[in-house]
Amino acid sequence: MIPPFFFGSLACLCLAILSGRFPRLWLALVLSGAGCALISAAQVLGDAGNWAWEASFTLGCQTPQFLVDGISALFLVPVSVIGGLSAVYSREYWSDHHHPDSAPRGRSWSAALILGMILVLSLANGLHFLLAWEIFAISAYFLITLDNTAPETRKAGWLYLAASHAGTMILFAFFSAVAARTGSWALGPMRDQAALAPLFWLALCGFGVKAGLFPLHVWLPSAHANAPSHVSALMSAVAIKMGVYGIVRFSAWLPLPPGAGWVVLGLGAMSALLGIAFAMAQNDFKRLLAYCSVENIGIILTGLGLAILAMANGQAAWGRVALCGTLLHVWNHSLFKSLLFLGAGSVLHATGTRDMSRLGGLWRFLPWTASLFALGSAAVSGLPPLNGFVSEWMIYLGLIRAVAAKGPVSGAIVPSVIVLAAAGALALAAFAKAVAIIFLGAPRTRRTAPVQECGWGMRAPMLVLAGLMLWVGLFPAMALGPAAIAATAWNPGWSGNVDIPVFHLGSLHLLLACGLLAAAYVVLRKVSRNGLRDSLTWDCGYAAPTTHMQYTSGSFAGIVTRWFAWILRPARLVRKVRGQFPEKALYLERTPETVLEYCIHPLGRGVGLLAEGAKKMQHGRLHLYILYVFAGVVALGGMAFWGGM
Amino acid sequence: MNEILNLLTGLAVGLNLLALGTSRLRLLIRAVAAQGVLLGLLPLLLEHGAMDWQLVFITIATVAGKGFIIPTLLHRAMRTANIARELEPFIGYISSLLLGAAATIAAVVIAQHLPLFPEHVGSLLVPGAIALILTGFILLIGRTKAISQVCGYLILENGIYLFGLLLIHATPMLVEFGILLDVTVGIFIIGIIVDRIQRAFDSLDTRKLTALHE
Repeated sequence: MIPPFFFGSLACLCLAILSGRFPRLWLALVLSGAGCALISAAQVLGDAGNWAWEASFTLGCQTPQFLVDGISALFLVPVSVIGGLSAVYSREYWSDHHHPDSAPRGRSWSAALILGMILVLSLANGLHFLLAWEIFAISAYFLITLDNTAPETRKAGWLYLAASHAGTMILFAFFSAVAARTGSWALGPMRDQAALAPLFWLALCGFGVKAGLFPLHVWLPSAHANAPSHVSALMSAVAIKMGVYGIVRFSAWLPLPPGAGWVVLGLGAMSALLGIAFAMAQNDFKRLLAYCSVENIGIILTGLGLAILAMANGQAAWGRVALCGTLLHVWNHSLFKSLLFLGAGSVLHATGTRDMSRLGGLWRFLPWTASLFALGSAAVSGLPPLNGFVSEWMIYLGLIRAVAAKGPVSGAIVPSVIVLAAAGALALAAFAKAVAIIFLGAPRTRRTAPVQECGWGMRAPMLVLAGLMLWVGLFPAMALGPAAIAATAWNPGWSGNVDIPVFHLGSLHLLLACGLLAAAYVVLRKVSRNGLRDSLTWDCGYAAPTTHMQYTSGSFAGIVTRWFAWILRPARLVRKVRGQFPEKALYLERTPETVLEYCIHPLGRGVGLLAEGAKKMQHGRLHLYILYVFAGVVALGGMAFWGGM
Repeated sequence: MNEILNLLTGLAVGLNLLALGTSRLRLLIRAVAAQGVLLGLLPLLLEHGAMDWQLVFITIATVAGKGFIIPTLLHRAMRTANIARELEPFIGYISSLLLGAAATIAAVVIAQHLPLFPEHVGSLLVPGAIALILTGFILLIGRTKAISQVCGYLILENGIYLFGLLLIHATPMLVEFGILLDVTVGIFIIGIIVDRIQRAFDSLDTRKLTALHE
């Protein structure tokens, strides 16, 4: 029963691309397309098994082949869920009324983005995979630059496009090398061809750019921060998962070089720690969320690296646990990250700024947004009883069992446990900072316009996401099933029941949730009985405190940013308080995107200088042009002559 | 047979030096024309067997094209542009001559090191072809008037033609024909361009074309 739903979803999305000018029709088409994709994924994750289909025609001399197995289906679920919800959200957030020019364009491109991602997940032919990958990458570019009047957005778009194409170039090399060595563009399990093993590094680099792996993440913060929020949600929750999908997929199909597990584990741990360190230092709350995505990709890859290690050492016991945690974290991250980005969009919609040092005290004005954002923050920090805890706990369980197994790898895994734990603690700090600075305290600047809570069109998708998060958190056993099926698809050798005490975890979560609800009820009753009292906090005896004397995002994160100053390299502008009658003092701090500004930019400037130098050769003097030709001919002749001898 | 062949090739190479050493465009065009005629006669000598009518026809066409039609076109272009001398060359005449001599010596040296068929080893065909190509480049690089550059291009083409004679048994006559037609059309177009350059810049000095670069 899969083909009608799957092809129905493709058809609906194709029509949705064409119907960007008709919002209602578009929404209906996108929702039905996403729904059909979800149903076909659910069938594969249920009991239908893999679905493969081969066309009877050719496209570009290749026969289109579709393959939806456990891994594809697992990634199809967030694509369809988040795709549909962000479409609903965009109706109010990026409405025709406010953006008459770009709204229809945005609708068409977001349908193209979802279509591209579904194709990437389901195509099993290298050539068509690359085509779908380009559709997906290009439509993401047009979505990021939807508001193309802002120079910053255009810059972010270019950076994304450049990085994405660099990644795609590596993927072209990868797929053509695979095709050259296997003799066919068709993709499938290739474990038995040991000569393909080095190609895994190409796949890791190419897909790593899209996934936002640490040194390759340079495009991610600015693109996610400058895109409209429903696009950021889609990008951060789902689009970067396509990179993860590629790495998961080809680690399942390719023979793996020795050391692949260690490299993936190491890269993952580094991404997790440094991603969250950068997140901590941000002032812009959408950039903070973007860096947090780098951290979560790091967590996912740590789990995957562990699973690869387990497979290499034949340790099904902990490898499977880690892999299930990894795959479940893909779901969980897409749920809470899209909730956070949609919440951030609501704040941005209400206040018009992404700068946390201009916000504050918004809980009273935006109660829905604030509580949903806080719920998402708790989940992303890995607090029980929410979904983030479930998957991170499984990854930890895998790590700890690996250490406890006292195998040849256990000793080296200990540092990654520590790094992951540190990253978790920093994530809690970063999100405590985000919630506290944005929603608590008093407003830091005087607002010209009243702050308005978002309408139901934006609230409903966030509520659905929060509900799904709670569902995964409270009934983890139900979410583990699909992850286990995908894990079996990853390594068919691992089958049977997964040894995770997930039922106990669920019961504990239910108990904890009931306890928290009871505590909240008691506190609220006490508050309502005693009433609220306005008074100053302890103010060090200062007589006239102002709202500027609150913690800023920079001061909140000060200690952590100093620990990581070696990589964050914050630029400070300080004018100290001097003299008896001090003049105006100043303290400005900016955290650059270190990899971009200290590695990529100098490299780019070097290339620019070379190109500028080469331009001098183009002077318009015909004789010298002929001389160039002559020199070229002589050089060629010399090459042929000496080479031939 | 081979001696006559070598004699004609040697004469053609000698005409190079005349082309390099003169400042008068009329003489330059005549030298190129004479070279064309000499080289046009070569296929008749190379063909040891029967004289078929195709060969005769191609010889007549080459001689007519290189020796008469193209020089006539160039003379006309020179008259419309109203110039007679190359006044300020990039590379002076003496230096051009020395370079040309060096190029001829280099051609002989290179030809000795090339892996040739035994039947071509003794002949001047290969060194002559290389010398012509190098001389063509020297003229193209060293002269500033468009007409002298066209002549350089023609000498370059003569060199390629001479090289092509090595393959005369392998190349169909139709290809030779095509090449000849291409060159004639090319010269025709260059004649028109020369006229346009003259009108636009009031000069045939190709250095002024730098005004066109970005």
